[in-house]
Amino acid sequence: MLQLQFQSWYAYAGLTVLILAYIVGNGVYGRQLPLPLNKQCAAVCIYVQGKVRLLAVRVLRQGPIPQHVGFIMDGNRRFAKKAHMETPSKGHLAGFTKLTKVLEWCNDLGIKHVSVFAFAINNFNRSAEEVGALMGIARDKLRDLAENSELVNKYGVRIRVVGSRELLPADVRESIEYAEEKTRGNLGMTLNVCCPYSATDEISTAIRRLVEDVEKGVLSAADIDEAALEKRLQIPGPDLDILVRTSGQIRFSNFMLWQSAKMAYIQFVDAYWPEFSFYHMARILVSWQLASRDIEKRKLAGAVHDRLASGEQLRNSVSSSDTYCGDRTCE
Amino acid sequence: MSGNGEHEVTSKTTKRNAWQQVCDGVCALVLRAAHLAFIIHRSFQAWVQNSLSQAELDVQELLQGDDTEELSEKRQHLADFLQSLPQRPKHFAVILPEANECSEGGSLKTSFDEIAYRLRKSSMAQRVTTNGRVARICLEDGKHVEYSGGDDIDADTDLSFERPPTLHVSLWSRDNGYPALARLARELAGQDECGRLSSGSIDEPCVAAKLVDAAGHEHPDLVLLYDNLVCIPDFPPWQLQNSEVFQVGSATARSLGNAALSAFTSYANIEKRWGK
Repeated sequence: MLQLQFQSWYAYAGLTVLILAYIVGNGVYGRQLPLPLNKQCAAVCIYVQGKVRLLAVRVLRQGPIPQHVGFIMDGNRRFAKKAHMETPSKGHLAGFTKLTKVLEWCNDLGIKHVSVFAFAINNFNRSAEEVGALMGIARDKLRDLAENSELVNKYGVRIRVVGSRELLPADVRESIEYAEEKTRGNLGMTLNVCCPYSATDEISTAIRRLVEDVEKGVLSAADIDEAALEKRLQIPGPDLDILVRTSGQIRFSNFMLWQSAKMAYIQFVDAYWPEFSFYHMARILVSWQLASRDIEKRKLAGAVHDRLASGEQLRNSVSSSDTYCGDRTCE
Repeated sequence: MSGNGEHEVTSKTTKRNAWQQVCDGVCALVLRAAHLAFIIHRSFQAWVQNSLSQAELDVQELLQGDDTEELSEKRQHLADFLQSLPQRPKHFAVILPEANECSEGGSLKTSFDEIAYRLRKSSMAQRVTTNGRVARICLEDGKHVEYSGGDDIDADTDLSFERPPTLHVSLWSRDNGYPALARLARELAGQDECGRLSSGSIDEPCVAAKLVDAAGHEHPDLVLLYDNLVCIPDFPPWQLQNSEVFQVGSATARSLGNAALSAFTSYANIEKRWGK
């Protein structure tokens, strides 16, 4: 009797495993090989995935959360080639879909500022067809994001577009102004869309603005310091905590250099942007949480060093003026 | 009756808060477990890397060892390997973990003197390069310049007419980054005030021209971050624009020389698209 009971348990367990394997396999890979109840299995998988993700978010929020994360969304065209899509712009569309998902994850995690590298100034060197397609996506999707997305309407995400927008076509500029105006009063997460952008252009523009302010008398040349320069950047703060680049390339490609060189935690992910998953995000966050204490220590040590160095400069300047006075006949 | 209703609501709220606290506590434990698992995974990866690197040649030994036959053969093998790489960086930068600058009494001048002394004493400065001449190394930190090696330099040699050095080593500090950009802004503001420049002419090429280093390079092609922490510690930001960044920690690489070799090997296969 006992043996029969055990055999029944094994049978039940085996049947359960088979059913679960069918649901997961059909739900995840059902597109390639459609089997019965494909839609229902996919719905179950998506539901369970959502719940697991919410649980993971709750777990991650027990530790420190970064304030500002930057993404270099690289690999859309290579993803399109890999997935045998008709045109590279389909890859960019897949990239936009992934962006909205990543923004949801960041919002759930409590990240306050997200900066994304949408279009570089030197991307205008691409073919006219591709640039046209990208401009079309920017025009339509920015408007759509500002009007219809849950992120903006429910969670109050604020959209800012950063870069040399005078290089953009008029219709894209209109969409940008519309999106910024519509979300100006929002108090949720800030999304900085860098388009068209290059960090060297940002720094040289900040220098030019500083010089213009000196011309106008807003400040004197002697008052120019790092803080004054940083205030005039297009993305002035807060400090970038994490910089993520997808597609396995290991360079900055002229994105947020000023912000990244201040101890931002850098992660190069070996997956194309449309393939970037919550698992990658969670992994990056866990490793940042482990490193965050060391990063803070180094930043504090750097700040102490700067104060000592500036104190030294002040002492030197005071002592040199004493010497000068000593050389003259003082009244 | 209303008092009983309020008491019920308060009790439900307290139960919910207690339940939330328990959930948060469990989640915090799970997070700690995830951190531990991650540390174990990373340590295991580092151990595997270390075990693999035991079999590699020790670049540090090749650079600093005496000229024995065996070492000469290994050096030739390394030189042939480096020559065979499809692409090599012209300007290579190494970021070392904060050492001398932040330590008490440390300064860039101290580092400069120390490195200059070691270069003069090392056998690297006496070795013959592929064109049959002894390697000449120029070391500078923006204020001081020193030459090592070479067989045709004496106190009266006018260095401005000499052949360019085989290797140009620049020592950079935080001062070459953000403070340099602030100084440049002050200089341009001063020129604008004197009427020698207009603010409208300040653009990217204008700023880039002012930030070229003493060896004439705008920015490194390859930056090796030799640190366990994957962060750029105040490295001159302008100079990072198109650099490949290769990170390897002291826990993983056998030595700085081996780390550099891994960086060159990684650089050999990269594809630069320049935005296209």
